[in-house]
This record gives sequence, structure tokens and C-alpha cells, in this order.
Amino acid sequence: MHDGSGLIAVQNLTKHFGPVAAVQNLSFTVSPGSVTGFLGPNGAGKTTTLRMLLGLVRPTSGTATINGRPFHQLGRPGRVVGAVLEAQGFHPRRTARNHLRVYTAAIGVPDAQADQVLTLVGLGSAADRSVGGFSLGMKQRLAVATALLGDPQVLVLDEPANGLDPEGIAWLRNFLQSFARMGRTVLISSHLLAEVEQTVDQVVIVSRGQTVYYGPLEQLRQQQQRRVLVQPSDIGALAGALQAEGVTAIEQLPDGRLAVSGVDSKHVADCALRAGVSIYGIQEEQVDLEQLFFRLTSGQYAGHVPAPYQQGGWAR
Amino acid sequence: MGSMNDLVQAELRKITTTGLWWGLLIPTVLVALGGGLLSGGFGQLMIEFTTSAEAEQLSDVLGVTPDQWKFSLLGIGRTINIVTLFPLVFGAMAVANEIGTRTITTTFLTAQNRAQAMLAKLLVYALWGAIYGIATIAAVALGVVLTSGSSQMPGIGDWAMLALACVLASILMTMFGVGLGALLPNAAGVVVLLIMYFLVIENAVQFGLRLSGTPETVVGFLPNGSVNGLTGSVVVDLFMAKAGVVPEEGIDFLRIIAGAGGAQAWWLSGLIFFAWVAASFGGGWARMTQKDIT
Ligand SMILES: Nc1ncnc2c1ncn2[C@@H]1O[C@H](COP(=O)(O)OP(=O)(O)O)[C@@H](O)[C@H]1O
Ligand SMILES: [Mg+2]
Repeated sequence: MHDGSGLIAVQNLTKHFGPVAAVQNLSFTVSPGSVTGFLGPNGAGKTTTLRMLLGLVRPTSGTATINGRPFHQLGRPGRVVGAVLEAQGFHPRRTARNHLRVYTAAIGVPDAQADQVLTLVGLGSAADRSVGGFSLGMKQRLAVATALLGDPQVLVLDEPANGLDPEGIAWLRNFLQSFARMGRTVLISSHLLAEVEQTVDQVVIVSRGQTVYYGPLEQLRQQQQRRVLVQPSDIGALAGALQAEGVTAIEQLPDGRLAVSGVDSKHVADCALRAGVSIYGIQEEQVDLEQLFFRLTSGQYAGHVPAPYQQGGWAR
Repeated sequence: MGSMNDLVQAELRKITTTGLWWGLLIPTVLVALGGGLLSGGFGQLMIEFTTSAEAEQLSDVLGVTPDQWKFSLLGIGRTINIVTLFPLVFGAMAVANEIGTRTITTTFLTAQNRAQAMLAKLLVYALWGAIYGIATIAAVALGVVLTSGSSQMPGIGDWAMLALACVLASILMTMFGVGLGALLPNAAGVVVLLIMYFLVIENAVQFGLRLSGTPETVVGFLPNGSVNGLTGSVVVDLFMAKAGVVPEEGIDFLRIIAGAGGAQAWWLSGLIFFAWVAASFGGGWARMTQKDIT
């Protein structure tokens, strides 16, 4: 039986579909108590990886375990892991409640659980409607409800925001965070960092089937150096004054401004005042994670092979 | 094994929460009833013909007693053969539909393993095959009762044997469908293929053999020939048991009418078709337990 740790471990996972290397030697772990984002552009291998983790796709090599066990050794998998996958379907002429009751039976949980999860995802009033008439967002909510039927310890979601309205996305975000706060495990994939940025604590970023970053999102943020863009009356004087204070990462921009890294705008302004330099404009450059994400993953179609990942750090 | 019970329960609910099973049960009952009516009526007609003066003379010369022949049995056999195409289609949809609607993903995510999921499906579909079989024989019997006099009515023992063959054929056809639907999981494609095969292709082969004068024995080993042989040989046996003297050439003709041309004895035909079911389900099983669900 499984160890109940809530740990997801992916080790040297590789999958070839004929000539297509969908996933190459991927490794990462996901711990309980946090929401982990699984990020990468379309075709990076996210869906394939999650499906290997869930026993739906047979790996070419490597292992993927939940609670220390491959999916098929979990015993009653529906009570350990819930999944919302792309292209996971419904019978169009089955009602939402009947759909859920098929799987309460399969998982071996009371039927009352079906109505409970329907209410939880806000579909209580649509319980007796056929799923064929559901909007994309309603289907996605029903998929989440299905995943929650067995009260699982681990949740795996593949691009769950697709088709959800802003209200649904906000609901999902809150739900996943409180789910993780109960000490459970959440792994959520997306091709947009911005979409999950406010939800996730950890990130695994993949590109072309390989890991390019793996660690806390906060650490990723900090690695993006902040810059202060300043337009002084005397560039030379301000640069000199900053250098005298030990600030060396100074760069002159084509538009005539100075870009100062590693300090905040208050520091630059104080320094300018002491040096008697006027400031006509000052601005802190926002941390743009999306740009960073793009830079990390843009190798995908450029034809170069990224270096192997390092835990909690840059790939190069 | 609690988990196996749970999966069986889930498969039962899959069937009862959508309309396909009774959508196919309606034509099953209608065609069976129609076949029963025709069989009884045809039997009566033959009796009236054979008891006409000229026919009496002829049968006296040949030393046969056609006024005691239960022609209705032959029609009953034919009817069952045709009607079991509905449970066949029902079975074929079991896996093909789940792949089409992509509910197969959730099915596999909630089962301990794929083998158990497939086994639960097989058990529940076998049960549903029996339900179709019981409905079929009941509707056929009703039709025969409505149109035939007492001389054409099969006896109680005959009905018991017919019911057994009908339910057995229906269960086996459903299971054959389950296997093939897993092997070629495209709902429309597999249904068209199966209907074409059972209605047209194999019959064309048989007809070709007959025209060319080749023995049709090989047909008795093919899927349609063997499953038809299961019911067809039963009705021919029942017919012969009460028929008194029947000329040798007449027996072959009877077998063809009953749909058992070239077929082996009913139990052997049943075993042969069971081998086809095992091959079909084995293939579907292998495919579904190996397949990447993407
Ligand atoms: N069943 C399949 N057969 C062939 N190639 C596939 C199959 N599934 C995925 N791929 C390929 O594997 C790669 C990764 O796909 P996928 O895992 O879906 O990426 P993502 O979910 O990150 O968009 C893509 O190049 C895709 O075309
Ligand atoms: Mg994907």
C-alpha cells in the first residue's frame, strides 16, 4: 500500500510517441501543503507527464509515483488522487448527478458525496440536467467535482482554467489554496504563468519535454533583478555618486536614462540628493515573470537543447 | 473483493443512466415479436398446404407425415439469429462509446487497474445479454402463440430448449461485441462492420460456397455460422424429434432454412462461437490494458 505522504515524485520520466519525444528525462517532486505549478508552452509535454503519473500513458522509461507508489499500486486510486484532465469526457445524455453516481460507485464512497461535491463547485441547481447542455465552464466545474468525489489527498489538474469564467478561476484559486493549506498536494499545469502566478507556491517549468526551472516561485521572482530607471540632470555625477556608494550595476539606456540594478528607487533618489543632482523622472521596473518565463521556455522552437535542470536554480 | 463489486455497480449505473439499452431493447422486442408472428403464421400456412388433398397423396407415397411437422420452429430459429444483432451492437458500444465520449479516462482513474475495469464490464454486459435474450424469447413466444394453432405450438420442453439457446446466443453475442468494440474503439465504425459482417459478408461467402458446390462445413466454424448454428441446430433437433420420417435431402434443406447450414451440433457450435468470443474479448482486453489513453 501507499505511504500516505502526499508526495508526488517524477524520476527520469521519458515518453516517445513514435519519433516524437514528448517527455525527456523529466524529474521533479511535489510536496504536500503547497500548490505547485507545472508550466510550459503548448507541446512541452505537460499533459503527457500528468497522464503518465496517473497511469493512463505508459512511460518509455523512468517512474512517476504518488505516495511512493505507481498509480496502479495505490489500491483504491480514486480515494488517493483526483484528476482534472484535458479531454476528459462526459456522456452527453447523462445528468450531472448520475455522472457522479457512476463514480461514487466505482470509488466506493456514499452517493451523498455526489450532491456534496456538486454544491461545492456551484452546480447544485444543475444536478439533474444532461451534461450535453452544459457550457465549457460548467463541464470544467463538473470535472473538478468528479476529481473531489473520493476526498483525495492529491489533486492533479491539467490546464483547469481553460473554459472557466473569471469567477470560476477565482473560485478555483481559492479552493486550491485552501485545499493545499489542509496539508494536501496540488499539481496544476498551465501554459500561462500569469494564469497561475497568484495560485502557486512552487513551479516546475518545462520546455521541449525537459525541466528548465524547478523551485519556489519566490526564488524565481528574486532572481529577476529589479532595476531603477532614472533620468538625472547630470548622468556622470549620479553614476559617480552611486559607484562611490558601492553600486556598480549601472547601465546607460539608449534614451539617455540610467538603469540601476540591485537597489530601490528611494536609495537612488537619496544618493542623487546628496550629490546635488536633480531627478526629472524615476521609475522602478516591474518584475515581469511572464517575460522571464518566456525567456526560459523560448528555447523550445529555437532548436537548441537546454542544459539539465538544477533544483531551485537556473538551468544555465 | 470489494473493489470488484464497486466496479460492477458502476458499470450497471453507466447502462441504466443512459437510454441506449432500452433504445435497442425496443427494436429487439419488435423484431422478435414480428418474427414470432411470421413463424407461427408460416407454420399454419404449411400445415394447411400439407393437409390439402394432393399433398396428402404425395406424403403418403413418400411415407412422411408433414402434417405433424412444426415448421414454426424454423422461423423461431431464424428470428433469434437476426434479433441477437441488437445485443451485439449493444456490447460493441460498451468500450467504443467510452472511448468516444472520453469517459474511459475517468473509468480507468477510478479503477484499481484496467483489468478489473474490463472484467466488471464483461460481467455486467453478460447480464445485459441475458436480459436481451429473455426479452427476445418472450416476444417470439408471444408472436407464435398469437398466430399458430396447437399443432404448430412447440411443447414446454421445446420452449425451454429454445430459451436456453436464445439466452446463450444473446449473452455470447453481447460479449463478442464488447471485445470487438474494445479492439476497434470507434462506435460508428465497429457497428457498421459488425452488421455488415453478420448480415452480408459471411452470408455472401456461404452463398458462394453453395453455388460452387463446395461443402459449407467451413461456415460452421465462422462467427456468424457458429452462433447461428447454436440456435439453428437446436431448432432442427427439436423439429426432427417430432417429425417422424424426413427424407435425407430434406434435412439439409431444413438446416439451411433454420440458419444452420454447414453448422455443427448446437453445443459444438456454441463452443466454437465461444472460442470466437474469447478471441475477440482477449484482443480487446489486450488492447485496452496496453493502450495509452491520451
Ligand atoms: N498520442 C500522441 N501521439 C503522438 N504524439 C503525441 C501524443 N500525445 C502527445 N503527443 C506529442 O507530444 C508532445 C507533448 O504533448 P503534450 O504532452 O500534450 O504537451 P502539453 O500538454 O505541454 O501541451 C507534443 O509534441 C505532442 O504533439
Ligand atoms: Mg496539454
